[in-house]
Amino acid sequence: MLRTMSRRGDDRITWDQQKLQVGDPEAAAAVREAERIFAQERAKGATAFRIDPGKPAQRIETFDETAEQIVLVPRVVGG
Amino acid sequence: MIIFTQQVLTTLGWIVLALAVSPMVWLLFQPYFKGLSSAERRAAHLLRDMLTVEQCRQLVWHGYLEVPSPSTTQRVYRVPRGRGYVQVIEHGRPVMRLCIQPVESLPDADVVILHKLMIEGNEEYYLQKANKYLCV
Repeated sequence: MLRTMSRRGDDRITWDQQKLQVGDPEAAAAVREAERIFAQERAKGATAFRIDPGKPAQRIETFDETAEQIVLVPRVVGG
Repeated sequence: MIIFTQQVLTTLGWIVLALAVSPMVWLLFQPYFKGLSSAERRAAHLLRDMLTVEQCRQLVWHGYLEVPSPSTTQRVYRVPRGRGYVQVIEHGRPVMRLCIQPVESLPDADVVILHKLMIEGNEEYYLQKANKYLCV
């Protein structure tokens, strides 16, 4: 799942790993869309974190379709 | 008596006007309010997904979330539930306040998660970007 934080809460894109492995076109399309959003938000300065249950968040630089959950947070500035 | 009657009539007039206008005002702003609450609901859902039961309890009862520093033992970041400074606690004492915010407006619950993720996964950058106020 890819979650992108925004003023609307978080926008989600989900895909099924098992369906992806057997070449399901819907799952492949969802991954492509997630990849596109990932690249677009990263270009705007967002930071991406891989979230695994029971582990601290891990910053990632490239899209990982095997991640259970990726959260994109907007760029931060000193207040 | 005449002045009193005039005041009563004026007040009644305003009440009638307010009653007539309020449905239109509600219709105008309803989508905005619905959008806002929906965003807060989604953010609250994300918050519940990201935090343990203990962390949720701390946020509700104490009004802040404590995030341990991944690099420095005995350092804890105290993230407020609402807007405000993040306190840096070392050896149980506040040593610094940090002011850092997202460039995009986010629901409060998302801001808490943002701080948690940045501290856990990108502490150096987080500290570099924050404006720091030392506690004396």
